[in-house]
Amino acid sequence: MPPMGRPPRGPRPDGPEEEFNLEQMEKETEEMLKLRYLTKDNAVFERTEGGFVSVRIGEEFHPRVQVVRMFPFSDPDQYISIRTPDERSKEIGIIENMKQVSKETAEMLREQLALRYFTPIITKIINIKDEYGYAYFDVVTDRGACRFTINMGGHSVVHLSETRILISDIDENRFEIPDVTKLTTKELKKLDLFL
Amino acid sequence: MEKVKLPKSVLSLLAERGIQADSIVNACATDMNTNGEYADGYVLLTTNQLILLLAPPDPGRVRLFKGYGTKEESQIDYAPEWAIRTYSFDELERLSIERQVACGILIANDTLRLAAFSNLSMKKMHQLVRAFDHIKNPQPDFMNEEEKEEDEYCPTCGTMYPNRNRKLCPKCMDRSSIFMRVLRYFKPYAGKLCIMLLCFVAISLLNLVWPYLNGTILYDSLLAKDAALLKKLGLPENEYVLALLLIVLTMFAAKLTIRIFTIIQGVFTAQIVTSVVRDMKKDIFNTMGKLSISFFKSRQTGSLMTRVLSDAERVTGFFIDGAPYVLIHSFTIITTLVVMFSIRWQLALIAIILMPISVIIGFKLRPRLWSLFGRRHRAERSVNSQVNDNLTGARVVKAFGQEQREIQRFHTNNERVKTAELSIVRFNNWFSFIYNITQELTNIVVWFIGAWFVLRTEQFELGILITFVGYVGQLSGPMNFLSHIFHWWTDSINSAQRMFEILDSIPEIQESEQPIALPNPRGEIVLDHVTFGYEANKPVLKNINLHIKEGEMLGIVGRSGAGKTTLVNLISRMYDPQEGSITLDGINLKELAFHDLRRNVAMVSQETYIFMGTVEQNIAYANPSATKEEIIRAAVLASAHDFILRMPDGYDTIIGSAGRALSGGERQRISIARAILANPKILILDEATASVDTETEKAIQASINYLVKGRTTISIAHRLSTLRDADRLVVIDNGEITEEGTQAELTALKGTYYKLMELQTKALALKGIE
Repeated sequence: MPPMGRPPRGPRPDGPEEEFNLEQMEKETEEMLKLRYLTKDNAVFERTEGGFVSVRIGEEFHPRVQVVRMFPFSDPDQYISIRTPDERSKEIGIIENMKQVSKETAEMLREQLALRYFTPIITKIINIKDEYGYAYFDVVTDRGACRFTINMGGHSVVHLSETRILISDIDENRFEIPDVTKLTTKELKKLDLFL
Repeated sequence: MEKVKLPKSVLSLLAERGIQADSIVNACATDMNTNGEYADGYVLLTTNQLILLLAPPDPGRVRLFKGYGTKEESQIDYAPEWAIRTYSFDELERLSIERQVACGILIANDTLRLAAFSNLSMKKMHQLVRAFDHIKNPQPDFMNEEEKEEDEYCPTCGTMYPNRNRKLCPKCMDRSSIFMRVLRYFKPYAGKLCIMLLCFVAISLLNLVWPYLNGTILYDSLLAKDAALLKKLGLPENEYVLALLLIVLTMFAAKLTIRIFTIIQGVFTAQIVTSVVRDMKKDIFNTMGKLSISFFKSRQTGSLMTRVLSDAERVTGFFIDGAPYVLIHSFTIITTLVVMFSIRWQLALIAIILMPISVIIGFKLRPRLWSLFGRRHRAERSVNSQVNDNLTGARVVKAFGQEQREIQRFHTNNERVKTAELSIVRFNNWFSFIYNITQELTNIVVWFIGAWFVLRTEQFELGILITFVGYVGQLSGPMNFLSHIFHWWTDSINSAQRMFEILDSIPEIQESEQPIALPNPRGEIVLDHVTFGYEANKPVLKNINLHIKEGEMLGIVGRSGAGKTTLVNLISRMYDPQEGSITLDGINLKELAFHDLRRNVAMVSQETYIFMGTVEQNIAYANPSATKEEIIRAAVLASAHDFILRMPDGYDTIIGSAGRALSGGERQRISIARAILANPKILILDEATASVDTETEKAIQASINYLVKGRTTISIAHRLSTLRDADRLVVIDNGEITEEGTQAELTALKGTYYKLMELQTKALALKGIE
């Protein structure tokens, strides 16, 4: 053993204690390849005390799950992935459409999504100043007035469609303009640099 | 990081609860509640409890994000109804941060959502979590980052720096200093510049004479048969034809001189511009070479190319085609006006009354034109990038039979360029129509009033009128120029500032001021508590301790994304670790001379790069003085010799982007030969045999076995068979070393390595592949 290195650890708790079992492994892999759809008939979601959501699928219980959109921009209400919250986040199941779960469930999932995809919507552009590599935005959003700075060099302004724009500031806080055509001519003029 | 300044209302609330302000170890401001609304709050840490403060959402409050606003603005005293909650450390086992898409949540014990915050507080919150970990589980080398005083705001105007690593306030940045810095590039050409300016002055003076010659003198003196003129020219009486000849000759000479001066000026301009652009490009390229790898990772190659290639030109463009003309045109305008006023001030007044209108029209309409130009530029760019996309992806397009759709896509983009171009032309036409109408109007009014003067008053001659109209016409060009010079100036200074951004960048990896020379290292590498992440709060490697002995061959195993390549990047000092140290023969890499480090560490990586040039040049890249024999031997050892000779031009075959295409395995072997020739003490093989077939791998394996003798070798591989000869193996998982030992030891452990091993041998055996 080298003097500096740490001693070899024992097998990890989730590792196989017994002999290597190829069949079991292949079974696991096959499991992994299957998509499991969750509906109100096979899964029970509940709010937890800590502010998260738990899910029970038959015998299986997850005390806390992550709710993730597969198509956050193009299809926010369909294909919701329910995942384990750890670093190596694995999929527990998929909700194909929010209509396939009860109203209460949809609501609690939406609460989780609201925080995960927190993106204020810009409703009014007061001023945009472009100065030496940075652009300074002074805007009103649906969550209040915001002033932020973006880097002009990178990919700070992304066109999600012809009319929809996503803006990320230098800390990668996100702001969205869902439809630029709804802005006034004056506002459009200020935004013109990014269109 | 500056210490968070707590508002008075918070301090008094804490005092009510018996918590002293100085007992707070770490504090972080939050700006959201868990419902996803903006709301002010604080997370405070004392030595035994965590305090949460949260205000109700206040829609009237303006949120300031990084880079916006001053220190004062962001720290106004705010006294809402704070809701307060405390958690004693007995209740809290673990604090963690879960990154959301664009914000973060602080979680206690993996189950309880404590606070939500935007990315503005992300860094501070991570520090708070680290401070908490330290209190719970004290670590000797912990540094409370609260103590580290770091300037976040510009000391002059109090604006937050947009980029903390480059403490440059965009507001206070001296624009004239940029101007002066650009001027410095012109200094070596001061003599030529003077001649150029003299030409300009001469041209504008001669232009001034022109209307006078063809107006006043031709009409009023010569055609009016003014005897005084002949006297002035020293000609005998009644020799008007001779006088006419003389005047025509003078006029011709004037025009000719103007042309000659224009040519001289043009030649000098071209010389100066090309020289300055060359100097700037040279500087940019030199700096880029010195910058660390992280600089290139954080920027697009395309935008860097633009900087090197076009920014320099744009900067000088203004300085040559703009700045001198500002002087010249202002000079022309002033002198013309003086002359006009001295001839007939009444008429001069009429002429300039309409002048502002055309300037204003020009000024008003320019922004619109600029945005149209911008649109065309963007349309062109999307066509360009699509062509680029299609050329590089040609194989995929063909393989999936999507040519028709790509054509359609190109057509759409192409159409947009056409539309943009058309709207510019349309606008330009309209613009020049209005502009010219105003000009013509001025001319007509001058003609009209002038003619009226000539008819009514005796003291006004036709020649003066013609001279006058000539001067009015001469004014319009400079006026037009001055109306859009401001935009031009901004554009150029913008380019200049982008250019200086590169020139001013400080490489993150710098050679120490007194580097320690180590020409012949033994090759012992020690990593001591190394933590590193490409982004500050996302460690890719966590607390790595590793001792690689002299001459040892160490194999690194782990799934993709585990941090293997990052580890070897640190050893070759592409990056510096954030915590801990790496030493070579007991000397910290940061102290080591660059030259010795680079010469003694060579890497054969999964990304092989072949430079434009011959096979010979490519192999000798790290050692250009190598003899032909050495090169051949290196190629033989890398099993590259045979395939090189199969190419018609042998070692002189041109390869790289412009030359013959090589297969993945061939490129790999060339880069192995390159490493063999470099003859390093430490050899890093990062998936060096990943893209070759099994047979070639066997051959390369043999050459590697030869290569590793007497060297310290670090080899990364997915295929465990590659690591058969390794003295020792480490398994990296999630940035940590999870297993370490010889093959036998690891197999006995029945951990990850065993699992991988079984999978590769058994699974393949079952399928009858090996």
